[in-house]
Amino acid sequence: MNNQIEQVDQLTQEAVKEVFQSMLSMEVNPEPPSPLAPDPDGQIIGSVGFIGEATGIIYLYASMGFARVITCRMLGIGEAELDSGEMVTDAIGELSNMVVGYVKSRLCNGGLPCILTIPSVVRGQELSIEGSAHLNRRMIGFRNCKYHLLAEVMLKNSIANES
Amino acid sequence: MSIKILTVDDSKTIRLIVAKAFKPFDCMVLEAENGVVGLAVAGREKPDVILLDYTMPVMDGFEVLARLRSNPDLKATPVIMLTAEAGRDTVIKIAQLGVRDYLIKPFKGELLVERVGRVVDLKSRAAAEKKNKRFDDPISLLVVDDKPAIAAQVRAGLTGMPWKVTSAEQPGQAQDSCMENSVDIVLASLSLPNDGAFMLFQNLRGYANTASIPVIGMCVRTAAAEQARAQQTGFAGVITKPIDPTELKTRVCRTLNLETSYKYFQQRDGALALMLPKDFHQGVVQEVSTNLESQLVSTVDAGGDKLIIDLNAVETFSLPVIELALSAIQAASKLSLRFAVVGSETTKSQCRSYEETQSWLFAGSFEQALALLK
Repeated sequence: MNNQIEQVDQLTQEAVKEVFQSMLSMEVNPEPPSPLAPDPDGQIIGSVGFIGEATGIIYLYASMGFARVITCRMLGIGEAELDSGEMVTDAIGELSNMVVGYVKSRLCNGGLPCILTIPSVVRGQELSIEGSAHLNRRMIGFRNCKYHLLAEVMLKNSIANES
Repeated sequence: MSIKILTVDDSKTIRLIVAKAFKPFDCMVLEAENGVVGLAVAGREKPDVILLDYTMPVMDGFEVLARLRSNPDLKATPVIMLTAEAGRDTVIKIAQLGVRDYLIKPFKGELLVERVGRVVDLKSRAAAEKKNKRFDDPISLLVVDDKPAIAAQVRAGLTGMPWKVTSAEQPGQAQDSCMENSVDIVLASLSLPNDGAFMLFQNLRGYANTASIPVIGMCVRTAAAEQARAQQTGFAGVITKPIDPTELKTRVCRTLNLETSYKYFQQRDGALALMLPKDFHQGVVQEVSTNLESQLVSTVDAGGDKLIIDLNAVETFSLPVIELALSAIQAASKLSLRFAVVGSETTKSQCRSYEETQSWLFAGSFEQALALLK
């Protein structure tokens, strides 16, 4: 099981780097996780799960300020053109889908077939995700200069599968 | 006509990215947020290509594709599948669905354009606007021939024209030139070593920003096999060496759809003047015939009721001149336009010797013709 969390952790790092590079032309590098800097507009969390031989969920946490930057970079628009929070929500959902799609594809190729859940996005102040005791969890930090992103991997462990 | 691209994706972000990627091109991007809406839009709009998301709520890409394939009107529509799932099994399944291509998310806009450009003929908006260029506007011609004399011949033939002629001796050099500069049309020698002209043609078609540059082949008159091959490959035409400047101008005009009607038509004083030129050739017949009806209709729309055919510049009153004038008169009659002909005494006497032309009303000048028709 430790191998599996290591594998998903590694794939998530690759996925976030790849997706940010391709869709945003932005280089992000892993770093030890640390809490997101406070943002008066709050935080946003995008998540997509995978279910099958490997079952888990990956969350992407960002401040609303960074989420707006991500959205603008993805769509090639200026911040003034962001017409509503819906564009940011949709962009973070799609970004999460791409990251977890990358991980899922490689898990499948590695003999762990699974399917994706639909993306979900939540916004608010001081958000945190609680998980049951039967989950392996990893938090990964990413940084591009002043911007900071967190990815959290939650993987259902073998004990949970058996119960 | 603009290419229609339909993007079917539940993500507004992806739909916006697609729309932005194709903004520089002469195309219309239609959007649908799920498969059901996508099928409805496809049925109504008949898109030239569909970009279809694989994983969608309501109806997934697999189901949409199956329904497209069972619809006689849409079954031939090329589909490019977009998916965030690049697993081997998914890719195999997508390939088996009979899609034209697939793209794994994340993807760059340039890649999307390149893949779509393989399926449909994407033209930049700027290229589409070139259709409105006039014959006397600056046009950039690139001559690709390993014999510099050919480029010199083309330059000499176009002396006095505002067309810019550049040259390249190698296909690679020509490709670079097309990528870097604004080339309107390429003349490539079909006898370049190693099928150079055909390779150049294929390479130009491989990039969205050069895919719409027309290529005219050049070869000697007896090279029938090369001419046939060029036509089959998709060249815009073949011109034979030695290059005849008149034929070259006509070919370029036709290929680039240059506006030439101003050379022959003029609306004034309630009449349409059709002025046939001194160097009358088959190209003139084509250019006049192409524009004749629209010019006549435009004249009537503007309140005009006369056609005046000016033959003063024509040197030889040949059969093609007579045929063209007769077709203009016939078209004018259908719109109830009266006509008169402006010409010299020589032309007038020549007309008297043909049954079809002996009754033409002649005048010495445009003003006299107007007065005759009052």
